[in-house]
Amino acid sequence: MLARELTGADPVAPALRQACLDATAELLADGPDLVAVVGVAAKTRAWPPGGCLDVTAYGPGLAGASGGPPVPLPLGLGARLLDQAGYSGRRELQSVAEPERTSTCAALGARLARNAARVALLVMADGSARRGLKAPGYLDERSVPFDATVERAVRTGDLAALLALDPLLASELMATGRASWQVLAGAMNGHRSTTEVRYCDDPFGVAYLVASLRPGG
Amino acid sequence: MGIVNRTPDSFFRPGVTWDEQAAMVRVDEVIAEGADIVDVGGIPAAPGTEVHVAEEIRRTAAFVAAIRARYPDVVISVDTWRHETGRAACEAGADLLNDSWGGFDERLADVAAQFGVGIVCSHAGGQRPRTRPFRVAYADVMADVLDQTTRLADRAVAAGVQPERIIIDAAHDFGKNTWHSLEVTRRLAEMTQTGWPVLVSLSNKDFIGETLNLPPEQRLPGTLAATSVCAWLGARIFRVHQVTESRQVVDMVAAIRGDRPPARAVRGLA
Repeated sequence: MLARELTGADPVAPALRQACLDATAELLADGPDLVAVVGVAAKTRAWPPGGCLDVTAYGPGLAGASGGPPVPLPLGLGARLLDQAGYSGRRELQSVAEPERTSTCAALGARLARNAARVALLVMADGSARRGLKAPGYLDERSVPFDATVERAVRTGDLAALLALDPLLASELMATGRASWQVLAGAMNGHRSTTEVRYCDDPFGVAYLVASLRPGG
Repeated sequence: MGIVNRTPDSFFRPGVTWDEQAAMVRVDEVIAEGADIVDVGGIPAAPGTEVHVAEEIRRTAAFVAAIRARYPDVVISVDTWRHETGRAACEAGADLLNDSWGGFDERLADVAAQFGVGIVCSHAGGQRPRTRPFRVAYADVMADVLDQTTRLADRAVAAGVQPERIIIDAAHDFGKNTWHSLEVTRRLAEMTQTGWPVLVSLSNKDFIGETLNLPPEQRLPGTLAATSVCAWLGARIFRVHQVTESRQVVDMVAAIRGDRPPARAVRGLA
C-alpha cells in the first residue's frame, strides 16, 4: 500500500502514505547519527545500506529497483521513505526473520541502538491481516485484541509489553510485524517513550499503525 | 466450459444454482448456449464457511449423476481439490477433475488415473485451498506457472492419467494479485507453447474488477476482452459464467486465427 505505483491509478491510501512521510520527517528532524530500517524478511541479516525497493515481484511489468541492489519489501519501503525525506546520512537496513525468537529480536534491537550515539529506528511492521471477512487472511476474532495490545503498548509508551507478544499467535493472525516490534522494544531497553499516533486503521482488513516514538518521555 | 455452482455463497450471482432444480435449468441453458463442458462446483474459492468432504459430495455427486442421465454425451467436470470428492464424482459419471488449487491433494491424480478421466493441473502459487493472496511475490510469475503446471502434468502422467486428458491452467487470481494475473494473460502463449491444452478461468474475476474498477455484475466486457486475448494466444478451454457471449468471442477469434470457417460467407461472393 505504501508503494504508490503498485495500487494503479487510484491512490487508494493517501492518508496512510502521508502519515508515513510525516513520521519519517519527525524521525529525521533531530539529526540522528544513524537511521536503521527494520523489517521482516526470510532471514535475519544486514543488507547493503544503498538497497532499494524492487516492486517487480509484486507488479511484473513495472519498473524495477533503481540506484541500488533490491532488498526485501519492508526495507525497500523504508529506504524509499528516507529518500523521499531527502535523507542522505548514514543508514542501515536490517531484516529480521518472521519466526525469530523474542529474545533474539530484543538483542538485535539493543545492538542496533548501540551502533551510533544517536540512533533513529524506522520500523516497518504490520498488525494482523485477519481483521475481517474480506481481509487477506479472512476473519480471526483474536486479531482485534491482539492488535489492541500492540496499539496500547505504543500509545502508552510501555514498549516492554511488546516483548510479551506470542510469536505463534502472531503467526496465526498473519501479524507479520511482531518480530520488528520486538526489535523496537529491545532498542528501547526498558525506557518508556512519548508517542504520537499518526494513523491507526484497517481499511483492507490489515492493521496499520503509524506512530512516532521518542524515548525517555 | 459453463459454470454451475452448487453453492449458496459463490462470488458471482451467489446462490443462483444452490437449488437443484434451478441448477438443472442452468445446465440446460449453458448447454443450449453452446457449452461443451459443464463444470460443477461445491465449494467457493474464497474463504468462508467450512464445507466438509461429505457436504461437498452431497452437493455435487448426485447432481453429476442427474446431468449424466439427462445428457449422456456432455463432458462433465467437477471443480474440486479433494480426491474423495473426485472419486464420488467419477463414480457418478464425471469426465474431468478441475483442480484449481495446484495439486494440493496429490491423490486426486490417482483418482483420475483409476477412472480414466481428465485432470486440470493448475498454479496456485503454493497456497492452501480457499486462502487469499497476501503480498505474494514472484521473481517471474509465468516461470513459476510453467514450472508448477508442467510438473503437475508430468506427475499426473506418472500416476497413470492418459496424457491426452491432461489440461493446464494458470489459475488467474489464485495466489496472484492483479498485476500477476495480467502478466499471465499477457504471456499466455508461453503456456500454450508447452503443448499441453490450456484452460483459462477468467470469468468476472477480481483482476478484471480491479483493472476496470467494476463490481462482479459489470465485468462481462472485461471478461470478454481477456477471453479474446487468451483465445488468440491459443487457450483451448474457457471456464465462464456467460456462455453465449463467451462462445461468440471464442468462435470469432478462432475465425480470425483461421482455425474455424465463418458460419456463412456469401457477401461479395454471389
